[in-house]
Amino acid sequence: MSKNILGDDPFGTGATPAGEAAPPKEANRKSKAKPKKPASAKPPSAPTTETEAATSAIPTPESDFIDVEVDDAPASAGPGVDSDSYGPSIDHEPSLPERLREEVNHIEERVLERLHLRRPERHPGDGAARQPLPLEFFWRRWSKLAMRDRSDVVDEFGRDPNVAAKMEPLLEFLYHNYFRVQASGLGHIPDTGRGLIVANHSGTLPYDGAMIMHAIKHESPTGRSMRPLAEDFVFYMPYLGVLMNRIGAVRACPENAERLLNQDQLVAVFPEGIKGIGKLWRERYRLQRFGRGGFIKIALRTGSPIIPTAVVGAEEIHPMLTKISWLAKSFGIPYLPITPTFPLLGPLGLVPLPSKWYLAFGEPLYFHSEYGPDAADDRILVNKLAEQVRQKIQEMIDALLKQRKSVLFG
Amino acid sequence: MPPATGSSTKKRPKKKALVARPFDPSKRVVAVTGANGYVGSDLILRLERQTGCSKILAIDVRKPSIPVHKTQFHKIDLTMPTADADLAAIFRRESVDTVVHAAFLSAPTHAAAWAHELESIGTMHVLNAAAEAQARKLILWSQTVVYGAHPLNPNFLTEDHELRGNPRSRFVQDKVEAEKQVRRFARENPDTIVTTLRTAPTLGPTIRNFATRFFSRPMAPVLMGFDPLMQFVHEIDALDAFEKAVVEDHRGEFNIVGDGVLPYTTILAMMGKIPLPLPHFLAYPLSQALWATQIFDSPPNFLDFLRFLCVADGEKAKREMHFFPRYDIKQIIADFLGVEPQPAFEGA
Repeated sequence: MSKNILGDDPFGTGATPAGEAAPPKEANRKSKAKPKKPASAKPPSAPTTETEAATSAIPTPESDFIDVEVDDAPASAGPGVDSDSYGPSIDHEPSLPERLREEVNHIEERVLERLHLRRPERHPGDGAARQPLPLEFFWRRWSKLAMRDRSDVVDEFGRDPNVAAKMEPLLEFLYHNYFRVQASGLGHIPDTGRGLIVANHSGTLPYDGAMIMHAIKHESPTGRSMRPLAEDFVFYMPYLGVLMNRIGAVRACPENAERLLNQDQLVAVFPEGIKGIGKLWRERYRLQRFGRGGFIKIALRTGSPIIPTAVVGAEEIHPMLTKISWLAKSFGIPYLPITPTFPLLGPLGLVPLPSKWYLAFGEPLYFHSEYGPDAADDRILVNKLAEQVRQKIQEMIDALLKQRKSVLFG
Repeated sequence: MPPATGSSTKKRPKKKALVARPFDPSKRVVAVTGANGYVGSDLILRLERQTGCSKILAIDVRKPSIPVHKTQFHKIDLTMPTADADLAAIFRRESVDTVVHAAFLSAPTHAAAWAHELESIGTMHVLNAAAEAQARKLILWSQTVVYGAHPLNPNFLTEDHELRGNPRSRFVQDKVEAEKQVRRFARENPDTIVTTLRTAPTLGPTIRNFATRFFSRPMAPVLMGFDPLMQFVHEIDALDAFEKAVVEDHRGEFNIVGDGVLPYTTILAMMGKIPLPLPHFLAYPLSQALWATQIFDSPPNFLDFLRFLCVADGEKAKREMHFFPRYDIKQIIADFLGVEPQPAFEGA
C-alpha cells in the first residue's frame, strides 16, 4: 500500500509521514479532495499536545473523506493498537512516547475526575483509553515510592546523605539529651586536610564512633564530616552493618583507611578493636593493646596527623558482667554479652544506660614529619609510637575520670 | 647493515624460528576464542572496523551470526582433548599475533562438569597453543566475581588482592583457575604480553548474561538486613577496554568497572523491581532447592553477592590503560532500562 503511494504522489504534498497512508491515496483517487487534504491532514501530523497524540495516528473522522476511507483508516492503524494489547513484557519495552502518552492520559483522567468535569470524548476506534494500564506503569510508580527515602547517589564508601539526614535527629537526641556529651579540645580538629582520630573503644555497641562523628560535625567550628572505621563483625551482622555504612562508617582495613586519608578526609580509628568494645566491667577504662600498630603505619604512609581522643562514659552504657563466646559463634557475632539487663529483659536490655559522657580531643601528633613515610616499615618504631599514643590517651582518660563525680550526672 | 642485523637478533631471542612474520602493528592477526559470546562477537565487530587489523580468526563451536569481511571461522571445541594441537596449527598457519581468550560462560550452568572442561581445561588448551605458536599477546576475559563477595573485602578491591573466589561455586572457581593458569603462563613466557581484563557485572541493552537476566525479572530477592554496594560496567565500555587491549599493549591485570556504586536495594528501586525480602538463613536452602530442581538459574552461593561487598577499583585501568568509562552507574541503569534518566530519580 505504501509502495503505491510513494509512486503516486508526484506533488510531494505527502509531506506527512508514511504512516498517514490513507490521505494521499484518497487524494489521488478523488482529485477534488486534493486541495483540502493539506488542511485536514496537517493538523494531526503537526506537533500536538500529548493528549491528542493518541488520536494522531488515525485521520480524524471530521475530515471530509468518504465513508470507505474512514473504515479503512482503523485497519491501517491496526498494528499500532494491537501492539498495545500485548501488554507489558520484560523483553519489549514500549517506547518513551507511548509510555508518556499512557501516563498523561491517566493523569488527565484523574484531574478531570477530581474537578467533576466531563470526561474527554473518545473516538470509538481509539482503543487506547480502554486498555488496562500496563504493569510497567505500576513499576514506575513503585520505583518512585521505593526511592522516596533514599537518595540515588551514595558516595563511594556507601554513605547515603538522605539516610544520614534521617538519623541526625536520633543522634542529636542521644548526644544532647541522653548522653549529655561534653566535648573539649574541638579546636584540635584540623580545618582542612587529612587527620586520623585515634580513640579508646568501649560500650559493647559502637555508640562512641557515632558520638565523635556528631561532635565534630555539629560542635566543632569546622563542621567537617568524619568517617569512623568499624570492626569486621559489624559487617557480618544484618541491619547494623548496612545502617552504619549508610551513615558513614567504613570497614576497618588498611586499604579503606589509606584511600580515605588520601582523599583528605577525617578518619576515626579505634585501635583496641574488638578487645576494647568487649571489655568487662571490671576492666573498664583500662586501654587494651593497640592492635599491631596498623594505624601508625597508615598515619606515617599517608602523612596524617594523629589526634588522640578520649571517650569517658561509654564504658558504663552496657556494663558487661561476662560474655559467652561459644554460643555467639552460631549467630556470627564475636561474643554474647551478659549485662544486668540484656538477656534478662530481652530487646529492652539493649537500651543503653544514660551515663554522662565526656569527649576530649588532644593535640595532634605529627609523626610523619618527624619520621617520614619510610618509617612505616620500622616495626619497632611503629610499636613504640603506638604505645606512646596509647599512653597519651590513657592519661587523658584518667584526667577526665578524676574530675568526674558520678557516672550518671557527671 | 651490522647494526640492523644486531637489532633484529636482539629483538627475537627465540629458540625456534617458527614465527617467520615479524609483528606489524598495521597488519594484526587476532584470534578470538568464544566468538559466539557477547565479548567475542562484539569484539570481532569492532575489530572488523579497525584498519590495523588484517585478519580475525573466530574460534567457537558455532558460527557467530554477525556480518564479517575479514573474519575466518574455525570450528574448534575447546573441550576436546586435542584442541590445543588444532589451535596451535591454526595459530601458526595464520601467524596469529594476538589471542583473545573469551571462551567463558556468562551465566552459571547446571552442566558443571562441561563448564569446567570448557573454562579450565579450555584455557589450558588455549595457553598451550599460544605458547606453541609464540603469540605476541594474550588477552584473557575474566570477571570481578573472581575476588569473591566477602565481609572482609575492602570497599575497593585492587588488582593485587587475592582471588578469594567462591569455594562452593564452580562458575567462579573455574574462572579463578583460568586466571591462575594465565598467571603461570605469564611467568613462563615473559616475551608474551599477557593482559587480564576483569569486567564488573556487565549491563547493556543488547547483551544477555547473568546480570541482565537477573535484572530483567520483575522481582528480585533481598537478604534482609544486607544491602551491599554494587557496581556495573556498560557493555560499550567493556568492549572499549578489550579493543584498547588489542590495539595497545598493556601488561597485567585490570579491573574494568564503571564509575560509581549504589546499594543493591537502591538499584532495585531505580529499576522498579519488587524486592522479595528473605532472611539469609532461609534464602540459602531455598535457593539450593530451586537450583537443584533446576527451577531457578542462580546457584545458592550467588546470594553471597547480595550479602557482602565485591566492588573492584578501576584506578589502575584509568592510570595505565587510560581507560575511562563513559557510562556511570546511573547512566548504565538508565540505558539498560531503555529510558532517559528520570527526574524522579534525582533525589527527593
